[in-house]
Amino acid sequence: MNMAMAESAVGNPIVDMQGVGKTFYRGKEPVVVLEGLNLGVAEGAFEALMGPSGSGKSTLLNLIAGLDRPSTGRAVVAGSNLKDMSDGQLAAFRARHIGFIFQAYNLIPVLTALENVELPLLLHSLSGRERRKRAETALRVVGLEERMHHRPNQLSGGQEQRVAIARAIVNDPTILICDEPTGDLDRKSADEIIALLERLNKEFKKTILMVTHDPQVAARASITRKLDKGQLT
Amino acid sequence: MKLILIAARNLWRNKLRTVLTVLGGAVAILTFIALRTVLSSWSAAADFAAKDRIATRHKVSFVISMPKRYIDDIRAVPGVKQATFMNWFGGKNPKDPNMFFASMAVEPDKVLDVMDEMVVPPDQKQRWLEDKKGAVVGDVLAKQLGIKVGDRITLQGSIYPGDWEFNIDGIYTATRKSVDRSTFMFHWSYLNESLPDARKDEIGWITTRVDDPGRGPAVAAAIDKLFDDKDVQTTTMSERAMNLSFLGMLSAILGALNVISLIILLIMMMLIGNTIAMGVRERTREYGVLRALGFRPGHIRTFIMGEAIALGLLAGTVGLALSYPLVELGIGRFLEENMGAWFPYFRIAPETAGLAVGLAVVLAASAATIPARRASRLAVTDALRRVA
Repeated sequence: MNMAMAESAVGNPIVDMQGVGKTFYRGKEPVVVLEGLNLGVAEGAFEALMGPSGSGKSTLLNLIAGLDRPSTGRAVVAGSNLKDMSDGQLAAFRARHIGFIFQAYNLIPVLTALENVELPLLLHSLSGRERRKRAETALRVVGLEERMHHRPNQLSGGQEQRVAIARAIVNDPTILICDEPTGDLDRKSADEIIALLERLNKEFKKTILMVTHDPQVAARASITRKLDKGQLT
Repeated sequence: MKLILIAARNLWRNKLRTVLTVLGGAVAILTFIALRTVLSSWSAAADFAAKDRIATRHKVSFVISMPKRYIDDIRAVPGVKQATFMNWFGGKNPKDPNMFFASMAVEPDKVLDVMDEMVVPPDQKQRWLEDKKGAVVGDVLAKQLGIKVGDRITLQGSIYPGDWEFNIDGIYTATRKSVDRSTFMFHWSYLNESLPDARKDEIGWITTRVDDPGRGPAVAAAIDKLFDDKDVQTTTMSERAMNLSFLGMLSAILGALNVISLIILLIMMMLIGNTIAMGVRERTREYGVLRALGFRPGHIRTFIMGEAIALGLLAGTVGLALSYPLVELGIGRFLEENMGAWFPYFRIAPETAGLAVGLAVVLAASAATIPARRASRLAVTDALRRVA
């Protein structure tokens, strides 16, 4: 078994994956996407993950985010062993520890920027006033407090992604999972988004794991890992 | 912001589709209400039947006549307060033979006492009693025929052939909403005297008022016992049962209307189910995002079911709102005035309104069950990959 070991050295490991494998089935035919993968990510790190299409980047990100479970191996994230958790436990884990930033922003079009940011807080027992206050703070952090009552279709791509970042940070998650966060943006907007992520990493000490195809974006991360055919190189 | 807000706003994402679905559902509810009102209107006569009245007919069928002398025997039965008889005449308006109304040969001096919900002004009543060719008609029928007191009218007999001339001596109104205000009543003696000997002295049925409504069944049994050993035996029943036996002839139509009303609701259910399924398919990725944020399958089901229930409630409410003016003022008024014999009181019953809106909500929720379950069970990663 070809195993790759990588570990960042900023703080205590927040992601600890040992011998992780993921196999999907196309009909009865198994498709191995990840195999015997070892990965350690330190708390407070800003890491980029690169690799060709089909290399398993998104699958790895999904496993770390608790969207999926590994077929083999051990995946401990923020102190939780994800392999043994039920769907309900994984949902609670995501609500508590994970902030998602997607390539296509994935805002809910019928809600305003403020309501979109407030959305994850509905899962926590907070008063309406407290939810609103926190959502406004998150929008202020991303510099969109003046656009909080706009709907997604009234915002530019860069602004939408900033709302998505505000939504990702509003419940103060342990890790930010970014799947091609600049993939749909022009260079200027992409730079702004990356600068914002850098700020979240440095000022707010957020651990950030980012999948990207863009070497310029990857260069802004403190560590860049490359994944090929399910193996970290 | 509440979770239900998202469900409510989702309804307006495709305004045209939502409006068309609500209108489609509303039309189904309107049709359901109209059909149920036909059923309830038909049975209104039975439901509103007088408690102290019983009716006696030929044991085989009410279309077979009985000897007139039976009325005297019945009047002598203990517990009987008043009794009168009637013959179905089957008269047609020669100017409009397709126009339907009930025409009956009656005892003028008794019928208005026994059927006391029909009210004729005293002077008109007196005039009728004294005029052998006199007739009294319901106010709705008078309006339809364009006749007033003092006019003359000729009817063609279908059961008793020939042209029959009548003087309009009075117009009755009704004190009870179930009463047909389109009946034409005239002297039984006028009919009887005009018949050949072989058809003389026959009556259709006898309506009896009893002293004590609680003793109605006992009096009915006593009446039937009187004629047990006669050539013509009788069946006596409450007025309600008698009315229901009339309806029994229409049971196939009533059954068909019942089935059609349910089929219409099923169509509405499929319409709403289709709208919900399309919406769910378009929003699968959003449900994936919500699941990624930590929302559980139950939340997704709540979003979808909430949307379906709101849609059903909207369709039900709009349908109900449309049905009141259309059924009560439009169709209802027309039917009461033109087909009062069948629909004496064509109004939406409160239980029909409640049932319609309730079923709209329940069926919409049922229609959303499968899309909601599918969406909530979809793997988060699969949902996130889905492109609308």
